[in-house]
Amino acid sequence: MSELRVSVDTGGTFTDVVAVYDDGRVHAIKTPSTPGDPSAALLSGIRQVVEESGSVMPDVDIVVHGTTTATNAVLEHKFSGLGLLVTEGFRHLLEIARQSVPDGYGNSFFWVKPPRLVPLHLVREVGGRMDQTGTVLRELDEKALVESVQELVDQGVDRLGVCLIHSYVNDQHERRIAEIIGEHFPDLFLSLSAEVLPEYREYERAMTTLVDVMVKPYVRTYLGRAHEELNKEAGDTPLLLMQSNGGVVSAKAAGERPVTMLLSGPAGGVLGAVHVAEQVGLTDILTLDAGGTSTDICLVENMSPNITTQSLIEHYPVKTPMLDIATVAAGGGSIAWIGQFGSLKVGPQSVGADPGPICYGRGGTDPSVTDAAVSLGWLPAEFIGGDLVLDVESSRAAFEELGQTLELSAEEAASGVLEIAAANQVHGIRQVTTTKGRDPADYTLLAFGGSGALLAAVSADFLNIRSILVPPFPGNLSAYGLQVSDVRRDYVRTLVRLESKSDPAEIDRHWSSLEEQGRQELRDQGIAEEDWELLRVADMRYYGEAHEVRVSLPSGLSGLDAVEAMWRLFHPEHDSVYGFSYPGEQEVELVQLRVQAVGQMSRPASLRLSGSGSPEPIGSRQIYWRDLGWTETPLYDRYELPDGARAPGPAVIQEYGSTIVVPPGWDASIDEFGNVRLEATR
Amino acid sequence: MTSTTTLGPIELEVITGTIRSAELEIEAAVERTARSPMIRDQHDYRVALFDARGRKLTGRSYSALVEPVFEYFDDGDIHPGDVFFWNDPYNSCGGIGHVPDLCTTVPIFKDDRLIGFSQVFGHHDDVGGMVPGSLPVQAHDMWAEGLVIPPIKLYEKGMVNEAAFSIIERNSRLSEHLRGDLDSEIGAAVLGSRRIIAMADRYGVDALEAAYDAIIENCARTIREELLPKIEDGVYTFEDYIESDGFNIGPYAMRLTMTKTPEKLILDFAGTDPETEGPINWAIDYTEGRFVRKWMGPVLRSLAATPERAAEIDMNEGCLDVIEARFPDKGTLITPTFGRPTGQRFYLLLRSLGIFAGALSKATKGKMPADHETIRIWGVHGDDRAGEFYLFREVLGGGGPGRPWSDGSDVVHIVPNSRNLPAEFSETRYPVLVEKLGLATDSGGAGYRRGGMGYDKQIRVLSDCSLISNADRSVLQPYGVNGGMAGVHYSVSTHSDDGESKSLPGMLDQYTVEKDLVINIRTTGGGGWGDPLDREPESVRYDVLCDNVSSEAAREVYGVVLTGRAHTLAVDETATEKLRETMRSEREPLPMFDRGPSFAVLKDEGRINWPDGWADPDEGFMATGELPA
Repeated sequence: MSELRVSVDTGGTFTDVVAVYDDGRVHAIKTPSTPGDPSAALLSGIRQVVEESGSVMPDVDIVVHGTTTATNAVLEHKFSGLGLLVTEGFRHLLEIARQSVPDGYGNSFFWVKPPRLVPLHLVREVGGRMDQTGTVLRELDEKALVESVQELVDQGVDRLGVCLIHSYVNDQHERRIAEIIGEHFPDLFLSLSAEVLPEYREYERAMTTLVDVMVKPYVRTYLGRAHEELNKEAGDTPLLLMQSNGGVVSAKAAGERPVTMLLSGPAGGVLGAVHVAEQVGLTDILTLDAGGTSTDICLVENMSPNITTQSLIEHYPVKTPMLDIATVAAGGGSIAWIGQFGSLKVGPQSVGADPGPICYGRGGTDPSVTDAAVSLGWLPAEFIGGDLVLDVESSRAAFEELGQTLELSAEEAASGVLEIAAANQVHGIRQVTTTKGRDPADYTLLAFGGSGALLAAVSADFLNIRSILVPPFPGNLSAYGLQVSDVRRDYVRTLVRLESKSDPAEIDRHWSSLEEQGRQELRDQGIAEEDWELLRVADMRYYGEAHEVRVSLPSGLSGLDAVEAMWRLFHPEHDSVYGFSYPGEQEVELVQLRVQAVGQMSRPASLRLSGSGSPEPIGSRQIYWRDLGWTETPLYDRYELPDGARAPGPAVIQEYGSTIVVPPGWDASIDEFGNVRLEATR
Repeated sequence: MTSTTTLGPIELEVITGTIRSAELEIEAAVERTARSPMIRDQHDYRVALFDARGRKLTGRSYSALVEPVFEYFDDGDIHPGDVFFWNDPYNSCGGIGHVPDLCTTVPIFKDDRLIGFSQVFGHHDDVGGMVPGSLPVQAHDMWAEGLVIPPIKLYEKGMVNEAAFSIIERNSRLSEHLRGDLDSEIGAAVLGSRRIIAMADRYGVDALEAAYDAIIENCARTIREELLPKIEDGVYTFEDYIESDGFNIGPYAMRLTMTKTPEKLILDFAGTDPETEGPINWAIDYTEGRFVRKWMGPVLRSLAATPERAAEIDMNEGCLDVIEARFPDKGTLITPTFGRPTGQRFYLLLRSLGIFAGALSKATKGKMPADHETIRIWGVHGDDRAGEFYLFREVLGGGGPGRPWSDGSDVVHIVPNSRNLPAEFSETRYPVLVEKLGLATDSGGAGYRRGGMGYDKQIRVLSDCSLISNADRSVLQPYGVNGGMAGVHYSVSTHSDDGESKSLPGMLDQYTVEKDLVINIRTTGGGGWGDPLDREPESVRYDVLCDNVSSEAAREVYGVVLTGRAHTLAVDETATEKLRETMRSEREPLPMFDRGPSFAVLKDEGRINWPDGWADPDEGFMATGELPA
């Protein structure tokens, strides 16, 4: 019997479920999400995909789950029931935040501070104080504590965050609070800042802790239920959760620290893209994952997706390590509309799944990017393998109308919409490249998702990117990517030390203790010891700077060698991030020690698509190109194209669920894995 | 790629979006590569893109000007690879206000054709002068403030001017920072210029230049069609004051006469007080006041239908089409004679926005936000735990203004994305213990929508040190509007554990504080908006529950009678209604502006005087008593 892995990617609207067999067979379905109880869609999706691909539930070997459930809870402001305990003198921590006003100069006149996670009356101070070395200056006031928490519970608090000053150095008071609360208020959900994020900067630590406890009850309940049901039907089957750092973890561990699942939605696609790139020997890529409403972009260097600890969810900082993904509101469903003074705008509103674009004929009336592509012939009037015949005429009529307002022909208006949609993607690509000191032209664009290959070449033209790769089954890459992940857990500890005054043994001791936590967790996750990898990372800066640089040490480095390497490798890393360094001239300061514990998992067979048919076009149709006007353009069927086949632009390559557009100035070819590679020819 | 020659809506949208995202990109490049904490962390820098005539295209922020390039260099003397550079407050056409702001400008060429400029200026840590940090409180002239550089070329056709560079570097106490900052600014400006060239490549120079016209015209149209109609035609005056110039006690008034016609706003600063001995002057009377018109224009955004809409409105060269400026003769605070010191001109920068908003309040029946004061610097320096010199310096915000749509936001800073220092960072780095990081009860001016709260920050110093406080509004208060009351002023004091306390002046240098004393900094609250007696009693109850408002103020200022305490705190509806009725009947009609009790004292003492032709601008303007719809 072949191995069967199932991926479940739960979005706000749809849940994508993919069955991957170890012979490379892939079966995908899409089912509506069930936000009330996400476990319902998760299980019904698994049942459906298993059945449709000709297996039975007990055949399922592993389920990997990515979800936006936790993120959506924050976006929907489900803050009620949250309370916060802070150190005496710091009651206004959330009110003050960092005093910062976003965006333009002078916005302080009209800007309104967004709602706080915990309103001020549900924040309580606790007597007791540590200094920056962890020395207790004042003892914890245990008696007042019980009274304060009782008051909060009386006012409906059922989830409590605790964030005491300098608890990242000494967690004694926070742990004691947990004991007392466990005794007096056993039903209260609790997160301690020293456990969630033992890093200095009290506001960011408090916010991360609050987001953790906020989603805890919900995530624990639904994951617990899902795993129970799954085991009932499929036998003892691991349920793994994708995290925002691009690694997976057991459902149980995810429930312990659910903040690590925030913004994990797009991670699967990035991992899938890295896997595809690895096969063909590409180490530096830009991933472009375009769907119906948005496009996610991530920079991958030396096979590693960039990681950030500076993420915001809406206005709220969440400081756990995350893949550094830029999201722009540009997708197939983005709506074209007339703005102020007759300007032409695309997005950020989207037609959504219901009613969808005009051409779907389900009552949609707003012209979208998809309608523009259909009316110009970029998309076929009938999707391959689908029974949906598109209403091209209605789409065209909509652009006729839009064009009249703009004094343009329907074709000019529609192709303009595609140009603007591509420019919107371009702004997102710049966010992860030029703003980080990288030139996008140095990377291959890996385009996937339902609409990734539609505009990739147009976007690439803006950026002088000359090479694009479209993997097989681009619509399923995100779900597949969930299966090519490793177990990854991050550990952090703040330790502020100047190089000249530091004790290497002390630094090593703290790193080792983080590693020990990592080993324990990998052991708990049932990963065999030979598959463990413990990576040491340090956040460092020149003394006087307020931002740190992440210095990742080579795998396998430990002990005092690691400490020595850390001080040495900081300078070139600083140079690569900021463009300058001062080795031997300026004092270096360590701020945080990190360890990433990696447990390597087995991989399914690679995605492969080998067309055995003819390399010739299957036909042609009239397609409108901005440079050429209406042109009879050859069409190809991706499933027919064999290794080495070529499709010089202009051309369109069609497949189920996606269309690859090869504009004039680009050539497409098929490689041995069935990837379509687009190369600029001018 | 084909180059079209005509501009259509598609090209315009892509070019507009590209210029907007290029502005963000240039900012990111500055933050990534600059060295001065003032730039990287406090975000005290501005970037902009201009067309070939020096017209400003970007709109999120104010910027310096390109005019000095035209004034100092002939048409034929602008080449690819040139980098223009200056910081001279008297030779930058009003674009640079004080010498720590070093301004870098790069021309943009498509082949041989000049198609625009890219510019970055930042506030550098040190450019010499009499004190570290180059912001001396007691400077008698500009030369005491630091090195002054008239417009020069730092690069000529790509060749670096090493002589200039070495002079500039040698004149800074932190020359490494300075060199790093300059490289960063040049690099960021060049990055921005590439985006403009790419648009010229894609759509052609003619389309690009037509897009410039459209971008500027769209800004002017937005102001004219969306914002101006909310302002009644007429002539309005307003004024506000600075307390001290570092040597003498004022107050020093900045005065404005605003004339509104259907098409235009004319801002006339006649009547502004004479220039001062100390560094609070601001030289803006150049090139028809182009700088100050673009600086003040964004205040109009507060008249947009919603705060979200206000945030969308770009303010570029189009401002000039709608706003004119007129200046008094040389010799006033804003028309200082050459060489007067200008280092602390940021008080006047804020005052100019406040008097414009005040005049607009008169002309809109009080629909503008109240006043807020958001920039002051406090700090301590001395020897740290290891016996080495440290400087702990922080720019602290204040309460935002009450406005018809919302209470003021607490402790905000006018500079976008500028941050305070976390207590855990401060204690780790400096010998201090942050005893309290809080908000000051009753600091926000009372109102139907109250002002935002100021800080109540208490720092225990763990070794002897020197205290710095660079703050205005330590006596006078941010004004309240339309029946709203003034926000509480700034204060700084020291406290010992046995209860002894000492109150200190707002502008202070080199003041010794002994080990274990607690320094208490309270920053300004925002002015309130609207009648406090109209505030929803439930909002007052909640403010009392959270200690934003004391129960005394709830009763005496808001007329709200509360019972119980903590979570049993409740509004006595009947008693509240009765109390409010009594208070209304017993009080004088509410004025449009409230400047607070300390201003009333100055007035009684005869220290507020008006020049010929001027009268008290507050006189005769009363609160409308109308609540927002």
